[in-house]
Amino acid sequence: MKIVVAYKWAPNPQDAVVATTGEVDLSRAKPAVSEYDPVAFELARRLADATGGEVVGLTVGGPSIDTPLSRKAALSRGLDRLVVVADAELEDADGTRIATVLAAAVRAIGDVDLVLAGDSSIDVAQGQVPLTLAGVLGWLGLAAVSAVTAADGGLVVERSLPGGTTVVAVPTPAVLAATADAVVPRVAGMKDILGAAKKPVEVLDLAALDVPAPGATLATLATAKPAGGERTATIFDGSSPAGAAAQLVGALRQAGAL
Amino acid sequence: MTAEATEPDFDVIVVGAGPAGSVTAYLLAQQGHSVVLIERGEAPGAKNLSGGVLYGRVLDEVFPGFAEEAPVERRITRHVTTFLTGDSSVSVDYAGRPLAEPVNAVTVLRAKFDAWLAERAEEAGVFLMPGVRVDELLREEGPAGPQVVGVRAGDDELRARVVVAADGVNSFLARSAGLRSKPPEHHLAVGVKAVISLPRTVIEDRFAVTGDEGAAHAIVGDCTLGIGGGGFLYTNTDSLSVGVVLRLDDLLKHGRTAAEVFDHYLAHPVLAPYLRGGEMVEYGSHLVAEGGLEMLGSVVTGGMVVVGEAAGLTINSGLTVRGMDLAIGSAVAAARGIGEAIAADDVTATGLSAYRRHLDDSFVVKDLRTYERAPSFLERDRMYGAYGELAAGIFHDVFAMDGTPRKHLVTVAREAFKRSPLRLRDVISDGWAGVRAL
Amino acid sequence: MNSAQSWIVVADDTAASGLVDLARSVGDEVVAVVAGRREVASSLASAVDRVLWLGEPDQAPVEAYGPAVAAVVAQATPRTVIGATSPGGRALLGAVAAALRVPVLAGVSALEADGDQVVVTRSVLGGIAEHRTAVQGGTTVVAVDPGGAVAGDGDLAPLEELAVTPLAATVTEVRPAAVAGADLGGARTVVGVGRGLKAREDVALVSDLAAALGGELACSRPLAEGVDWLPKERYIGISGQHIAPDLYLALGISGQLQHMVGVRGAKVIVAVNSDKNAPVFSQCDFGVVGDMYEVVPALTAALGTGS
Ligand SMILES: Cc1cc2nc3c(=O)[nH]c(=O)nc-3n(C[C@H](O)[C@H](O)[C@H](O)COP(=O)(O)OP(=O)(O)OC[C@H]3O[C@@H](n4cnc5c(N)ncnc54)[C@H](O)[C@@H]3O)c2cc1C
Ligand SMILES: Cc1cc2nc3c(=O)[nH]c(=O)nc-3n(C[C@H](O)[C@H](O)[C@H](O)COP(=O)(O)OP(=O)(O)OC[C@H]3O[C@@H](n4cnc5c(N)ncnc54)[C@H](O)[C@@H]3O)c2cc1C
Ligand SMILES: Nc1ncnc2c1ncn2[C@@H]1O[C@H](COP(=O)(O)O)[C@@H](O)[C@H]1O
Repeated sequence: MKIVVAYKWAPNPQDAVVATTGEVDLSRAKPAVSEYDPVAFELARRLADATGGEVVGLTVGGPSIDTPLSRKAALSRGLDRLVVVADAELEDADGTRIATVLAAAVRAIGDVDLVLAGDSSIDVAQGQVPLTLAGVLGWLGLAAVSAVTAADGGLVVERSLPGGTTVVAVPTPAVLAATADAVVPRVAGMKDILGAAKKPVEVLDLAALDVPAPGATLATLATAKPAGGERTATIFDGSSPAGAAAQLVGALRQAGAL
Repeated sequence: MTAEATEPDFDVIVVGAGPAGSVTAYLLAQQGHSVVLIERGEAPGAKNLSGGVLYGRVLDEVFPGFAEEAPVERRITRHVTTFLTGDSSVSVDYAGRPLAEPVNAVTVLRAKFDAWLAERAEEAGVFLMPGVRVDELLREEGPAGPQVVGVRAGDDELRARVVVAADGVNSFLARSAGLRSKPPEHHLAVGVKAVISLPRTVIEDRFAVTGDEGAAHAIVGDCTLGIGGGGFLYTNTDSLSVGVVLRLDDLLKHGRTAAEVFDHYLAHPVLAPYLRGGEMVEYGSHLVAEGGLEMLGSVVTGGMVVVGEAAGLTINSGLTVRGMDLAIGSAVAAARGIGEAIAADDVTATGLSAYRRHLDDSFVVKDLRTYERAPSFLERDRMYGAYGELAAGIFHDVFAMDGTPRKHLVTVAREAFKRSPLRLRDVISDGWAGVRAL
Repeated sequence: MNSAQSWIVVADDTAASGLVDLARSVGDEVVAVVAGRREVASSLASAVDRVLWLGEPDQAPVEAYGPAVAAVVAQATPRTVIGATSPGGRALLGAVAAALRVPVLAGVSALEADGDQVVVTRSVLGGIAEHRTAVQGGTTVVAVDPGGAVAGDGDLAPLEELAVTPLAATVTEVRPAAVAGADLGGARTVVGVGRGLKAREDVALVSDLAAALGGELACSRPLAEGVDWLPKERYIGISGQHIAPDLYLALGISGQLQHMVGVRGAKVIVAVNSDKNAPVFSQCDFGVVGDMYEVVPALTAALGTGS
């Protein structure tokens, strides 16, 4: 089985600096493989090992996503090879644009049985890209996947949905987005990282991919810093728990919160 | 064990991608050696406390004209030293043209600067391995005694002819090689540091600097609640690095936490106006080895050398902390020494002792010597309280226009001195110690 | 583009009144496409102007209707399409967005019609900033959190049944979760617990406090996923529940952005954490620096004695 894992090289907005105007400075936030995507790497590796298949990492974005560091970070986590589309035009691309480019790359890779993705990315965090990708490819796209195994001619997929656990028989090709806790991803060791440097990386040229033009563009009219994020705390010392509890209850009564 | 298994994977393993590690790795790769640089942070610089003044001359020798290319924040053209009491301050402001030369001193933010240095190493052919924490040294008995032959991280082992311990203060590697014991408390200081973002024009106005010029303030006295140590305030492009360095033993003696002292410092009426309206974007605390030459232990053992702060290479004069330039200086000496040892095919302690010789000849050990007495000088408590009071007293009497006739400065000083708890003998002794130390 | 129309795409039973209200605010005519059971479609009949039903799904997951939904919506090219952020909702929206080649905007707090275009107020990057965004040149597709039941008061719209073929996929088994219907949204007091908790048994410590406060129990994501000490319905944050109670207590929660975004609307936030430097302390109104294993029982006791 040929499995593509779509993963994102993204900064953690926790480390961003947000001006009072709502302008975001991400220059302090170091990009990394998005928090939940290693879960997809691990699921893919296990499935490929069980079916004798190949795992291809795929990421798209601006030029900064392709560095020796970013390549090793992905390739050391169970991938066989990597495909990258890095282009300045994709710097702040919206999710549908990303999904359209991912779809073109999946087609270029060819004969793909399954695309696996993470639950949601650390920066955008909508859990939308894999499902839009499925839409572009015309494949079935399922989110909330907690387990996947191969069965004759297709996959057996377990989903963790609000109503309970659901088992779905899915023919390939398909796009699946894993839950954050589907499996515990491996920690890359020194040998994995050394091995990563020897694995092939293919850089696809965006212009050569024949990606259809967007049907709408986004214009930012105004930005703001949301209220309620920062509060000035009155801090009580809990080294005397009873004292702190009494103070807190008093303060809450006074604030009308009790 | 098979012969194949003992074959080294690399010529050199460098542990720690701080300034010491990255520069050592870079220089060794330039000599044509295969080098792996292992860093526990997800990216170099990610874990290192940001902000600081880099005395740049030595780095300029490694990367000529680095100040043009590297992510440096500002060139320091003003050094301001301030003595504080609870409500007043006395400052010495040194703004000198000679300081404007960019390689003298620049401010850097470590997250960017360390990443830049590691990139240079990577460009030179170093295999950078982030996200890996070295757990153990591999040691074997060699003909010349125990020899370090590699490192272990998790389940994996890597072998090399030489391991460079560049793992920073409290070096776990140096200690496990038996090169250093746990440093005594009075040789350690706790640094608490924050980065506070402010618009660049605000910084330029508040600190009276223009363009890419910057100021470095060193502050002693009331700001540390009388605890041995000092505070600093450095300008970056659009942020300030602000922090305190506190002697650990004194901190414990006073029953204070470093965070408490730091909060007091930030709120001090002399500091607060500089910081007003800023937003804290980074905060952290870190140990600093401040023992000077006394802390410089043995830096070489069979198959391993120790560089940078791992070797105890810092100078804390009470007014400035220097470590990055010494780290880089030791990296230059280590790369030379290791290169020679490998060329001579002798990586035992004897072969690698070439590093120690180069280190002794470098500005690093010379400067440590110059400041040799600084640590014990700084242990004198009155440096942190009474002198500030005295200086403030003198200046109060000079500047306070209370209608009484102006007195000659010497008279003023003598009167202020009489009110001060200091005894003349202390002052003479401290003065002498200070002159010798600084 | 059909400016008068707002479409809603409905995947789940939890089809929200929120979808209809929002659609109404930017369109004169609201059309619903339903990929789901007949009851779901009928429940919308009194609230919208037209209901398009794709037929009984039988064993097919709603996601299998993505291409069919996309085809119907693309043909109409309405000004606005609204769906839910649930897994099924996102799949339908993804198919629609792919067909129209337009972005899907989430974290939406308001929509305004402005001629042919729609202006969206939304939070971005995990909630650290708010943007007013205009979608130019195409349909505005938004994903919103599903709300309560549909409150319809209009005339009954007829069900227009469309004959479509879903993608091949079969639900072979459903193991319903034993959900103890948590109403976090309506609770005035919510007690949230995080990884400061050492063991599953210790949940009692926190539920005692919740009981003393007459509040609901909630948690951070790692306590519901990874270790399932609390049901997933009870975790708060960007990918979980958003709540706005009078009082929220964050116990042993570090205060990561992704969690705190879910409680921004709380009137009063209290944090208990043993780490003085935990980010949660700059995002709360009252904080206790201390061990929750000592502070929480003390707090429960203090409330009990009415002191
Ligand atoms: C508050 C404060 C203020 C200071 N101000 C200044 C200043 O203004 N100017 C100045 O020159 N110096 C200053 N210093 C000192 C300076 O920070 C250090 O001397 C300098 O960082 C030493 O560099 P290094 O490369 O030896 O070690 P470090 O920069 O500490 O780098 C060590 C690296 O090793 C990594 N590491 C550690 N253990 C392992 C392991 N087991 N496996 C893998 N990786 C590991 C660490 O993650 C780190 O990246 C200051 C220090 C403090 C605390
Ligand atoms: C795309 C994405 C979406 C996410 N969505 C969500 C979401 O919706 N909701 C969510 O919650 N998270 C979400 N997360 C995860 C989030 O980033 C954090 O990892 C998570 O919120 C941390 O949970 P925590 O605070 O319980 O754990 P930790 O961060 O581990 O914090 C535990 C805290 O407990 C304190 N502590 C330990 N012992 C004690 C004690 N005895 N007494 C008192 N305090 C103690 C510690 O000091 C620490 O601050 C998301 C992450 C990603 C990448
Ligand atoms: N630029 C990208 N390149 C590759 N995969 C991506 C990209 N953005 C998102 N993804 C995948 O889609 C998942 C959900 O992302 P999001 O929709 O941004 O929350 C991520 O976990 C990744 O698996």
